[in-house]
Amino acid sequence: MKKFLSILLVLVMLGAIAGCGAKETETQPETTGTETETTETETTETETTEPQKLTIWAWDPNFNIAIMNRAGEIYKESNTEVEFEVVDFAKGDLEQKLHTMLASGTTDGLPDIVLIEDYNSQKYLQSYPGSFEDLTGKINHSDFAEYKVALMTMDNSVYGVPFDSGVAGTYYRTDYLAEAGFSPEDMNNITWDRFIEIGEEVFEKTGHQMMATDPYDGGLMRIMLNGAGSWYFDNDGNPTIANNVALAEAARIYTKIVNSPMTKKTSGWGEWVGALNTGDVASITTGVWITGSVKAEASQSGLWALAPVPKLDVPGAVNASNLGGSSWYVLSSSANKDLAVDFLNETFGKDVDFYQEILISNGAVGSYLPSASGEAYSAGDEFFGNQVVFGEFAKWMDEIPSLNYGLYTYEADAAILAEMASIYEGGSVEEAMARAEEQVKSQIQ
Amino acid sequence: MYKLRNLFKYSFLSIAALVSIFPFLWMIIGATNTATDITKGKMTIGGELFSNLSMLFKMVDMKNILLNSGKIALISTFLLLLFASLAGYGFEIYKSKNKERLYTILLLTMMVPFAALMIPLFRMFANMGLLDSHIAVIIPTIATPFMIFFFRQNTKTFPPDLMQAARVDGLNEYQVFFLIYIPTMRSTFAAAGIIAFMTSWNSFLWPLIVLQSDGQKTITLIISSLSSAYFPEYGVIMVAIVIATLPTILIFFLLQRRFVEGMLGSIK
Amino acid sequence: MKSTGKKKYINRKSQAIGWSFVAVAVVLAAVFAIYPILNSMYLSTMSGKGVVYEFVGFGNIKRLFRDAVFKQALKNTMVYFIFQVPIMLTLALVIASLLNDKKLKFKGFFRTAIFLPCVTSLVAYSILFKSMFSIDGLINQTLLFLNIIDAPIAWLRDAFYAKVTVILAITWRWTGYNMIFYLAGLQNIDPAIYEAAEIDGASKTKQFFLITIPMLKPIILFTSIMSTIGTLQLFDEVVNLTGGGASTPTFNATMTLSQYIYDLSFKFVPNFGYAATVSYVIVFFIAVLSIIQFRVAGDDHV
Repeated sequence: MKKFLSILLVLVMLGAIAGCGAKETETQPETTGTETETTETETTETETTEPQKLTIWAWDPNFNIAIMNRAGEIYKESNTEVEFEVVDFAKGDLEQKLHTMLASGTTDGLPDIVLIEDYNSQKYLQSYPGSFEDLTGKINHSDFAEYKVALMTMDNSVYGVPFDSGVAGTYYRTDYLAEAGFSPEDMNNITWDRFIEIGEEVFEKTGHQMMATDPYDGGLMRIMLNGAGSWYFDNDGNPTIANNVALAEAARIYTKIVNSPMTKKTSGWGEWVGALNTGDVASITTGVWITGSVKAEASQSGLWALAPVPKLDVPGAVNASNLGGSSWYVLSSSANKDLAVDFLNETFGKDVDFYQEILISNGAVGSYLPSASGEAYSAGDEFFGNQVVFGEFAKWMDEIPSLNYGLYTYEADAAILAEMASIYEGGSVEEAMARAEEQVKSQIQ
Repeated sequence: MYKLRNLFKYSFLSIAALVSIFPFLWMIIGATNTATDITKGKMTIGGELFSNLSMLFKMVDMKNILLNSGKIALISTFLLLLFASLAGYGFEIYKSKNKERLYTILLLTMMVPFAALMIPLFRMFANMGLLDSHIAVIIPTIATPFMIFFFRQNTKTFPPDLMQAARVDGLNEYQVFFLIYIPTMRSTFAAAGIIAFMTSWNSFLWPLIVLQSDGQKTITLIISSLSSAYFPEYGVIMVAIVIATLPTILIFFLLQRRFVEGMLGSIK
Repeated sequence: MKSTGKKKYINRKSQAIGWSFVAVAVVLAAVFAIYPILNSMYLSTMSGKGVVYEFVGFGNIKRLFRDAVFKQALKNTMVYFIFQVPIMLTLALVIASLLNDKKLKFKGFFRTAIFLPCVTSLVAYSILFKSMFSIDGLINQTLLFLNIIDAPIAWLRDAFYAKVTVILAITWRWTGYNMIFYLAGLQNIDPAIYEAAEIDGASKTKQFFLITIPMLKPIILFTSIMSTIGTLQLFDEVVNLTGGGASTPTFNATMTLSQYIYDLSFKFVPNFGYAATVSYVIVFFIAVLSIIQFRVAGDDHV
């Protein structure tokens, strides 16, 4: 009896596991039937090197995913036998998956193409050597914005296809500024000090705050630095946090912004994006990818305009900068890497019409320079009072100083912003930056 | 004195209940509003429920996603309850030096943050060829030390005379477990069942790592990717959260009857 | 002599049965926990970038002592532990024993309502709390309206209030969860004991301290160790409340050890070796605190 029961126990366990395995295969066709018509064959055939299937990982369903799906459709017109599976993950989730899989050393389950944020490109390339396909000569990189290509270059080899540019601009409410007596010219090519002056006047006269900011988000600081042609590191990757004139200036401006009544302090992404749709603030300075969010509130059509980003008051600074952006990479483990490279080359690498299309439908400004000559870039946008906004972005993209972000952008960001708390309260910028540099140095092994 | 105590008791519980429920009201209201209204903090029911719903169903295959989550949660709850109760009972009733050592090791494994184990665990499942399968999500949850710990602690409150009586009646050790222990401890099983279902239904990190294709994803993964958009559609997210929350509430309602029965002291 | 021999035989037999009860769980745990743990211990002697790493021996442990972020994270984690765990468990215990009263009206409603928070997923409840505690959010507006404060509080961006918010959020989410364990435990206590106490004229407070707490001791021990583990491994709540979003700024005033592990593995240049070392710092503290709790509870193992 006892023996019988213990055998029964083991059987129950095995049965349960096998049972859920069986259900697995049962539900498989149902799963695929509703998703795409492709997956049924793919689940059984990925192992046996099915040659015509590309899996792509990206984030944001309305932006990157939608654009990639469209690229797939275009490619399929002339390559009918290729199937695409574009899988959507949250950005942080995708990074976590990719790190885990690359670190585990198994290539099973990795996609063929993956989207990587530009600040992170060197980190992936140097941490997982051999995992990404060298695209030198396979893509015409001279057609892309130079500062983007520099980021994906390691030992003279170029590893990615630049995509979302991240070129930055200042979006502002013309009605609020007019009420305070400012014209669009007043916003053109100004310094951050002047911007704060304008902002404080706008707040005084209209009661609307000039901008929303998260005091512990480094995005704005990266815009300021990139425009000044400076970074947390020099070209050899040595930290330049202490004794960095541009950074000290940026810290001063940050403090001025955070402590000014013209600023609405927010925490996190949702609140920050929310502030512009509710009409609380008069401007937002960030990457071009925000355009869709600005236009989300249709009732504000005609009330917005675009100006170049303000610059730091340091030698060499320009009114053009960049925040974030991302690029496509092909994984070396892919069974279909030639196909993947060909696909990227045919669409993101040379299709001007495709860029026009995604600009109109998704507001995506690519890093592909020839696309700027297209019609969509010279058309006025009603939402922005018929201003040729994307033409402006394309123009600025050419002026952005080229930098080597290095591997440790987020380490530096975290260390500096941790020190900002003391600076906001009147502490010494020099000492704080010296401490931040020490912290970053301890993290560079 | 008695009345005063009652007043205190009811107002304390009412405040606790109110605080607990309030965010749910906010969530339901949110599901009927647009993203902009939500960020503005609108506290009234809006008319966007159906457009939010249809947008959600257009963006993701909800039926399949809920089936995935439901299947994983039910199977893992059943297996976890069975094996954790067996183990918790075994460790407490049949104490021995070696078992105590093993038990201590089990408790220690619980203390290691999952982030440290993810990479080797992923490598194991990749080698077994189980990536992107629901089995890979379920298996590591079956031997959760925390449930074994829970059952062992509860077994300490299991009346020993009941067991003696059953043995005298001629039941063997397994019969004692299945026929006496389980029915007697049903409120423990109900609590463990609720917790196990909830944990599995809401689990995020491990499913994220092992599931690869859209067709295999669970509801928490979907909510996470919805909320990471450059422009998060909060109304749609709220609808998804409401839908994700309903099954756990349902399970709670189903199982909490066990508590009520126990409270009436029906079988003891 | 004869009887001890027989006893030994029974003992051996019952030991075999005992092993059959624990076998499945132990085997699964060995495969899916012990191996990864050994692997990560090995990894904790390495340091480098991603898959490019080298043996450093105790180098990672030395690095801990000069790592300011680690020290800050350790301090924050301890603050959460010291304040949050006792508050939550006391609340849960008091509520559970109030709900265990046969004469209580609306018992089902109270029980369900108070349990409700823990059915929400972490993603969901952090979205809810974030919006309530935002600068223009409900909490600030209510406090302003009631004239309790003059200016809105930066609940999520002030070193002190951000910790308060995190503690409030965790307490909201997990009190009902712990209450369920207590309620289940209370069901296993014979109501006759309370009836006898009632007849003897013991007050409710007296019954709580002299019957409820001693009888529930194993469960209280269980919940306090689980809460210790939960708090020391605290991650999602802090990240989602005070960070989050596409650029995920890390707010050092609320940063926990687990969050630091995450940053070291997935946000910064991945150093899985150092991240593993920080994990074992967490294990060390949990183990010490657990042993203390077992000792205080006078439990017989560990």
